[in-house]
Amino acid sequence: MAYTKAKIRDLVDGKIDRDTLHTMLSTPKDRDRFEMYLEILQEQVPWDDPIILPLGPKLFIVQRKSDNKWMIRSFAGHDFCAWDENWKLHARIRVRETQEQMEELYPKLMAPTTGWQVIREYFCPLSGDLLDVEAPTPWYPVIHDFEPDIDTFYRDWLGKEIPARA
Amino acid sequence: MPLDKENVRRVQVLGIDAGGTMTDTFFVDSDGDFVVGKAQSTPQNEALGLIASSKEGLEHWGLTLEEALGEIQTGVYSGTAMLNRVVQRKGLRCGLIVNAGMEDFHRMGRAIQAYLGFAYEDRIHLNTHYYDEPLVPRHLTRGVMERIDMSGTVVIPLREETARVAAKELIAQDVEGIVISLLHSYRNPEHERRVRDIVQEEVAASGKTIPVFASTDYYPVRKETHRTNTTILEAYAAEPSRQTLQKISSAFKENGSKFDFRVMATHGGTISWKAKELARTISSGPIGGVIGAKYLGETLGYANIACSDIGGTSFDVALITQNELTIRNDPDMARLVLSLPLVAMDSVGAGAGSFIRLDPYTKAIKLGPDSAGYRVGVCWEDSGIDTVTISDCHVILGYLNPDNFLGGQVKLDRQRAWEAMKDQIADPLGLSVEDAAAGVIELLDSDLRDYLRSMISGKGSTPGNFVCFSYGGAGPVHTYGYTEGLGFEDVIVPAWAAGFSAFGCAAADFEYRYDKSLDINIAVDASGDLKAAQAQTLQAAWAELKARVLEEFELNGYGPDKVTLQPGFRMQYRGQLNDLEIESPIASAATAEDWDRLVEAFNDTYGRVYAASARSPELGYSVTGAIMRGTVPIPKPRIPKEELAGETPPESAKLGTRKFYRKKRWVDAQLYRMEALQPGNRITGPAVIESDATTFVVPDGFETWLDGHRLFHLKEV
Repeated sequence: MAYTKAKIRDLVDGKIDRDTLHTMLSTPKDRDRFEMYLEILQEQVPWDDPIILPLGPKLFIVQRKSDNKWMIRSFAGHDFCAWDENWKLHARIRVRETQEQMEELYPKLMAPTTGWQVIREYFCPLSGDLLDVEAPTPWYPVIHDFEPDIDTFYRDWLGKEIPARA
Repeated sequence: MPLDKENVRRVQVLGIDAGGTMTDTFFVDSDGDFVVGKAQSTPQNEALGLIASSKEGLEHWGLTLEEALGEIQTGVYSGTAMLNRVVQRKGLRCGLIVNAGMEDFHRMGRAIQAYLGFAYEDRIHLNTHYYDEPLVPRHLTRGVMERIDMSGTVVIPLREETARVAAKELIAQDVEGIVISLLHSYRNPEHERRVRDIVQEEVAASGKTIPVFASTDYYPVRKETHRTNTTILEAYAAEPSRQTLQKISSAFKENGSKFDFRVMATHGGTISWKAKELARTISSGPIGGVIGAKYLGETLGYANIACSDIGGTSFDVALITQNELTIRNDPDMARLVLSLPLVAMDSVGAGAGSFIRLDPYTKAIKLGPDSAGYRVGVCWEDSGIDTVTISDCHVILGYLNPDNFLGGQVKLDRQRAWEAMKDQIADPLGLSVEDAAAGVIELLDSDLRDYLRSMISGKGSTPGNFVCFSYGGAGPVHTYGYTEGLGFEDVIVPAWAAGFSAFGCAAADFEYRYDKSLDINIAVDASGDLKAAQAQTLQAAWAELKARVLEEFELNGYGPDKVTLQPGFRMQYRGQLNDLEIESPIASAATAEDWDRLVEAFNDTYGRVYAASARSPELGYSVTGAIMRGTVPIPKPRIPKEELAGETPPESAKLGTRKFYRKKRWVDAQLYRMEALQPGNRITGPAVIESDATTFVVPDGFETWLDGHRLFHLKEV
């Protein structure tokens, strides 16, 4: 089954109707879904460099036009680092580590004890968009979540050429 | 038919099955002759499809709607009026009163409600799960302070002022109904009744008219979410559905009918649309067929029946063992768990309208779970469907006559189906179109066969002990396929397969049934006094339920003297998980001897349903529920009995031949007109027996024989 671009845009925007979403989830993906998805994202971002892979609602791996370098970039256009590095180490971080900070989010007495658990929030330095949140123990390192195997994904899954990478 | 005979025919019974795809009507005359009408369903206004279907059926008898309706004494409806209302959440604005501190349990629901009705693949695919909006929103829910424990003991007395405040707040928000459901009220209804009275006082004091529904007055059964959901349905959907039914009733009255409609209910009986408890009419379509099979079985002597029904959207199977239906007590419908007695039935989402798709990566064929429903498939150009369906395969392979679908009401285009099949399935798989279509049919048939087999072996039995009844519009097309090799004692296709559910509705009793949960536990060596005390507990429950059954019949003008009452109970060996529903051998219970007779009836049934050696009386006995059923006599369709003619079908029944594909070759199948065949005729495959509403396929290697009751018996030769 093939969906129109308008339907996929509804999906990206979180406005899709329940029945179509269910059918979409229960049936195999369209062959051209990823391309269509990228096209829609590309139309939404305020810059022109091609998106290679979305990493989160407002986070992407892009091919920087000026030098073909693959960078991790926020929606607002901040380049954090190279695509295979841990972008979190380059983000603005707020750590909620006192009970008062926790109680901004939780009702009183229902928040985790900060001696055991803190909340780390990762922001885009340009726009202040919240890009990721984690709830580790206080001493836990800032882990590199994952390094996507983009070459295999493009070559073997999508059957496409791997975009140029400097 | 000679003209002078027309006026002689007196139509007596009308059965209606308004399904998702087709609306079937079934008319029976005073001689027991019957005719089936079919039309596409009209979900916007069901009455339209009903009238169209009736006209189509009566045309076969050369009667107009007005002529027939005036004579009819009884009419039974089964359909989706109420279900649609609940699915679409178009009910009334209700308030809910529960225990203080429990105000969120309805909103949270049971986890299972997040995936009820899903295909297996989706059930294990968590991303597809979702929660529906609650029937009653949180801001219309109030708590009252009280608590009764599971033994019925008061732990916290009712704080009456909290009930008064709750009532006042809900009344102020202009609710259209107030539902009360307190913890363990089925065990001790005192607090709930007191809350109900307080709410009623407050409603009266406010000068408004708001109906009040206490769960104990409707469904005094255990399981909070089930009981609460069901009681809410009474308030939320029953009244509006009553109006829909009234509309259908008056559409027929405008056309000259004089009878009052009854509605098929989940417990397998029919009830009046005036009934106090209408929630149990929420889903009734497929039940009709099971009731019809039971009725035929009782009349003709088939005790063990596997009922199989294929319509446009699903394959439904139910088992009748020793002429007894299985009743489930906690079914689910419209993604809600409910406390209604429901004729047990299993469904697979695979029917004639199921879509066929290829997994683009693995190239595996995937059937359903969604379907074209009444829109048939690509072969019907007007449908707007562009994904091929099972029906398309049938048209391609010569199973269906493209010019006689629904008696020619819908013209099918074989070429269109052929091209779509080639494009979507055959070419990607590198198969010829006919091999691809035949492969799909084989795949569906083997799925259904495995399902049927596992259901019967799950009961500890084998198909050899069962007669398989096959019906539904698409049933007889697949009968050979899903019964082949299973070794059923007999395989029966009624000539009126397409209208079989409607027939079943017409054959159902006018019956009310009420249930109440009990917690009786007794050791096998209990004293006579204890046994007598338990018998009296059961009797008290029966008395309570009896009053409610009689009250319902009173509403329809039947006095207590006209009602036949049948008490029942649910019993299990202590500590086991599953109970059995038993018809009580005694009309009332009071003594230890009475108790022993109940136990004896349970042991008998247990041995019959499972095996005598599986009985475990040493564990003692639990009674989990009391049941009261009441019936009044109504006219039912008579099963035809005709003289047998010879084995050779008359020439007039032959309709020529059609190319028919199976097992990698095209053959010429002899076509017959079903209505022209005579009892006693024997037909050897390859043959296709056509009727307006159904097509019976007899491929080579099979033979069928039409008996005097207009039942086809299908055999492998």
